[in-house]
Amino acid sequence: MLGRDARDRRERCKTGIEGLDNILNGGVPRGNTVLITGSVGTGKTSLCLEFLVHGSNSNEPSLYVSVTEPCDKLLKNIIPYDFFDESLMTDGKLHFIDLPIVYERLGLEKAEFDFEEVAILISAIASIVHELGIKRLVIDSITSVCYRLKSQENIRDFILKLGSVLSEMGCTSFLVSEISPAEERYSLYGVEEAIADGVIVTGNLERRGDLLRTLQVVKMRGTMHSRAKYVLDLTTVGVLLVPLLKGGSVAGGG
Amino acid sequence: MTTATQIAEKLDALPESSAVALKIRGEQYFDVIRGILDIFAKKKEMDSIYVTSTIPCQSIMNALQVLEIDTERIWFVDCISQIMMSVGEKHPHAIYVESPTMLENLMLKVEYLIRRAEGKKKLVILDNINSLAIHNNIKILSEFLHILVNNLRSKNTYTIIFSMEEYETDEMTNMLNLVCDESMTLEGG
Repeated sequence: MLGRDARDRRERCKTGIEGLDNILNGGVPRGNTVLITGSVGTGKTSLCLEFLVHGSNSNEPSLYVSVTEPCDKLLKNIIPYDFFDESLMTDGKLHFIDLPIVYERLGLEKAEFDFEEVAILISAIASIVHELGIKRLVIDSITSVCYRLKSQENIRDFILKLGSVLSEMGCTSFLVSEISPAEERYSLYGVEEAIADGVIVTGNLERRGDLLRTLQVVKMRGTMHSRAKYVLDLTTVGVLLVPLLKGGSVAGGG
Repeated sequence: MTTATQIAEKLDALPESSAVALKIRGEQYFDVIRGILDIFAKKKEMDSIYVTSTIPCQSIMNALQVLEIDTERIWFVDCISQIMMSVGEKHPHAIYVESPTMLENLMLKVEYLIRRAEGKKKLVILDNINSLAIHNNIKILSEFLHILVNNLRSKNTYTIIFSMEEYETDEMTNMLNLVCDESMTLEGG
């Protein structure tokens, strides 16, 4: 078992989001598969896009795999980051792929995938990552992929094998998971959170009628990290984070 | 010596990135603003971030124009216009926070303005602690000031917190003394 020092010596993949890198004691341990989970409108996609843009800006080829929303529509609504240049895409440092197109090319057109088809999908994603030399990957959302896997065994197998293949290639991945605000677990099927190396939860916190966007790192293998809740803002200079003030979260706390 | 030059000289004598609690009376308000924004910040070539929780930034901007103070290097974080439903036309130098109870968002907007002008020296004015105390209890306000001031200090930014003398309670005095490097009062009217 790795001691505290050994865990903190693992090579880091700096997300480029200063607040998050501080929370993670320097960044995500390279090769980790991290579940980014939260309800709608909590900033999951923006967080992931920023992770990729910072990666491609620091010469780490990055890939966004969109499952539900077509990439061109997504790009139209992207926050106009001060550090984002479209040449990143034309220079081959930042890639966008629509997964439904991959399904079509692989002939995976059934509503439900069996064990063999799961293997084909993993192999296809791994090939793309290998060919493009991808070091940062986002799948948005893994929940949509899991809809087709149905059984918990298939979901477990998919995430475990995908995570393992990507990690071997030194690729750090963010898997977006959609949950409803009332959900008490971190993923729809309850399997994803157990298998992922890390879980970052985004949410909405209502306090005396104010709605705050929050972020909390619940789990991250390979590093010491803060488990406190932070308030985030999505801005053109990127995701900004400040600690959630505790005085307001206690009963009668103002 | 006028109030404006008095405050500018006092601030000038402080170490870089000091945090100051400035106790003022209502009648000194515009002289203090002139001293900070038009003399001190101009001399130090600093951008100013003016956080208002008392009166809408548009009213402050109008006053600055009357005082013929250049607003080119002044940015506003306005925590009061939206709650008063009086934003109207948004000013390009202003960012709005929904309510003065959203202290984390206030910090985030200040952080955003600092990041946007990275490399330049900056001054943050918090106007004022008394109105923030109307909307927040002293516990959360102390926590907020502690985080904000330390964060600004680490970014080599001056912090000036206005406190209206006539409305300052003992609790507020203790809180300001705890987080600020210096507490200042001004002579004369």
